[in-house]
Amino acid sequence: MGVEIAAVMSFLGLTSAFAVVAAVLGTWMAWRILEKAGYPGWLSLVVALLTLSGVAWIVALVLLWVFAFMRWPRDQPSGGMAVAGTSPGAIIGPAPRSIGAPSRALPDRRGWRLVGMLPSGTGIALAIAETTASWVVTGAATTKPGELSVPDPSVGQPHARLLSAGGRLGLEALGDGETFIDGARLLPEHGARDISAARLIRFGKVELGLSRA
Amino acid sequence: MTWVIAWLLGLGTLAILGLLVVHLVVALVLIIPTWRICTRAGFSGALSFFHLVPLIGWLVVMAILAFSPWPNGEASSSGPGV
Repeated sequence: MGVEIAAVMSFLGLTSAFAVVAAVLGTWMAWRILEKAGYPGWLSLVVALLTLSGVAWIVALVLLWVFAFMRWPRDQPSGGMAVAGTSPGAIIGPAPRSIGAPSRALPDRRGWRLVGMLPSGTGIALAIAETTASWVVTGAATTKPGELSVPDPSVGQPHARLLSAGGRLGLEALGDGETFIDGARLLPEHGARDISAARLIRFGKVELGLSRA
Repeated sequence: MTWVIAWLLGLGTLAILGLLVVHLVVALVLIIPTWRICTRAGFSGALSFFHLVPLIGWLVVMAILAFSPWPNGEASSSGPGV
């Protein structure tokens, strides 16, 4: 009989130990995930307490769904950022910022080309000459020099800014629509990024291949 | 005696089937939001299928989300490594 009791106690002890370790690990990882999404990490403690209270695990489950589908602070344009208006022809923020003095200019001073296909099936090719330091990518028709039109509803008006300096090319998201560099999301708060070595740029649903002209 | 054993086996199978169904339902309830979180972070949504692994599946998904850099950028970092 003693052996059976010891076995049951060992089993209960192991499961309890697993539960404690899992709870601590889960809370710690939830803390990190919340911080990555832009929320304060201590919210995970609240969720953990709710879950540990037994009946409130359903609340934690509901919070998981809410977290998955709500807007994260990470995706919000930062307040201090110059986010341009969304209407065609809107004034585009303050003076363009430079790429930030590349550590080493590239000897190749050819221009750049963005080539791809619109979702409608129409081909598109954009030429970016270094003679102009700043280009604005917009989903609207071009109305002035320094604008590059990508006529698709998924492209913001304006959508992004391209910066050319020292043989390098930079890209800055302006907050209206999604921007990706080789599959990595670029947010307005990331500022301008050197894309000289990038291959694929996506504005909204339009994917363009980047190459030298 | 034989029929008692048959009954016990039948009940055992039913219990296992019941547990399996409950596990699948719970996993589905977890997979849908996790799929969304994974894709928003820049990972494949298929990672959420780790919830189908009993006991430790959810820990694996959370560990990937917590300790891997998010391809789509994080609030606490300077963004994608371009």
